[in-house]
Amino acid sequence: MELASSSLTNDKPIIVQADKVNKYFGSLHVLKNVTLTVRQNETVIVIGPSGSGKSTFLRCINHLEKINSGTIRVNDRLIGYHERNGKLVEDTEKNISRQRAEIGMVFQRFNLFPHLTALENIIEAPVHVRKTPVDAAIADGERLLARVGLVDKRDKYPAQLSGGQQQRVAIARALAMKPSLMLFDEPTSALDPEMIGEVLDVMKELARQMTMVVVSHEMGFATAAANRIAFMADGAIIEEGSPDQVFGNPHEERTKQFLSKILH
Amino acid sequence: MYHFDWDVFWKYLWPPSAFDDPMIRTGLMVTIVVSIIAQFLGVLFGLFAALGKMSKFAPFRIIADVYIWYFRGTPLLVQMMLLFFGLGVTHVYDFPDIVFEGIKISGAIQAGTLALAINEGAYMAEIVRAGIEAIDPGQMEAAKSLGMTFGLAMQRIILPQAAKVIVPPLGNEFNNMMKTTTLLVIISASELFYAFEQINARVFKPFELFIAASLYYLAMTTIWSIIQSRIEAGLGERKGMEKPPSMLDRILGMGPRREPIGSGH
Repeated sequence: MELASSSLTNDKPIIVQADKVNKYFGSLHVLKNVTLTVRQNETVIVIGPSGSGKSTFLRCINHLEKINSGTIRVNDRLIGYHERNGKLVEDTEKNISRQRAEIGMVFQRFNLFPHLTALENIIEAPVHVRKTPVDAAIADGERLLARVGLVDKRDKYPAQLSGGQQQRVAIARALAMKPSLMLFDEPTSALDPEMIGEVLDVMKELARQMTMVVVSHEMGFATAAANRIAFMADGAIIEEGSPDQVFGNPHEERTKQFLSKILH
Repeated sequence: MYHFDWDVFWKYLWPPSAFDDPMIRTGLMVTIVVSIIAQFLGVLFGLFAALGKMSKFAPFRIIADVYIWYFRGTPLLVQMMLLFFGLGVTHVYDFPDIVFEGIKISGAIQAGTLALAINEGAYMAEIVRAGIEAIDPGQMEAAKSLGMTFGLAMQRIILPQAAKVIVPPLGNEFNNMMKTTTLLVIISASELFYAFEQINARVFKPFELFIAASLYYLAMTTIWSIIQSRIEAGLGERKGMEKPPSMLDRILGMGPRREPIGSGH
């Protein structure tokens, strides 16, 4: 199983290449030499105790947080920086925005735009960032709403939707930019238990065709959808492997401790 | 016992006889137009100052801070005199009369409007900033993660939401603005109060005339209160906000009604 999953992905192009990423919040060392490779169509789920830096790492991948050293490449391009005379210089806002447009992000607290309807939320960036004609963006948006099962909520404002529905609209909104990578930052942890399933179902379907990095504690989802699990603690990736290996036969003591806490 | 001259009072209070007087007619128009333009420019200056204050670039922050500090910390009357007479003697700008589409706009009106706008901008800056800061930072992050630049995110996502927060205090600012235009009398700009002053110099009926003048301003602020509560009701309805204070409460200057303490549920 372990061999099967690695041989399946090894020949695919690399989408995310994080190399020795370090980040500090003041004197706090929150990311310590984090190195991770994600290949096309892979779904990598990052687990770990709170405060371990997993959300911060995810936010570094689209440069919502700046890194202090190391490099992150998405589709073989440096994120947030470019090289000049062997030194890394922060990129212009325009270039950073252009790169972010290729990376979809789904947040814990949905962050839908409350002054726009579900459909308007979805077509906002395609129309104003990509300059897609409105008709085409609407047609596309309606297809995406159908895909997340919310065609009938097209003209509802976020405040009129349940948490699970809002998160599904947020996923559709990110997909509307046709990203090559999707980042999910604890997408179900702000949801009532009965709504978690509907969001995970959408994500499972998505995992079959997309490259995804997901910060989540949903073990059922991780087992069903992940190609790889990365366990983070104290700002570092401690252990990495297939779900069967990490959940069934963890090598590291720290991983065992963590799993014993969340599995019971 | 003072004999109240009802004839003078009604003559200058009530259209059409009052509007037969060209000074009152143009004065009223000048007051309304100056208020609107000064408020509009004030919002614009306030927006720039607010963005400057929130900027990552230190010189912008300093310029915004000094602007707000100076114009909130000094009297508007002094600013107006400084702008009109002060700049005049330096010949930096003389405020010559401008003729626009056949209407003469005096230098005093230009200087007065500009002074009102710059002063208002310093106050609007704080209102706009509070409005922007009231928006969840997650909104900016979501906009950025979709590939929007800071400017586009402000324009499309943050400011439309902040407007909801800004509109009620903005309405109150405009109410003040209409009354504050009377300060233009000091530089002889031909606004409404200047008209009443001039008429008073001719007929010397200060009691009657200044009551009539005050009622003009009362009418303007009252009409504006009605418009404002309509606007706020419209905003609230669409976005499911709390109910704004009723029209009567607003005209009488009361805030939203509160349950008395200890009334229980």
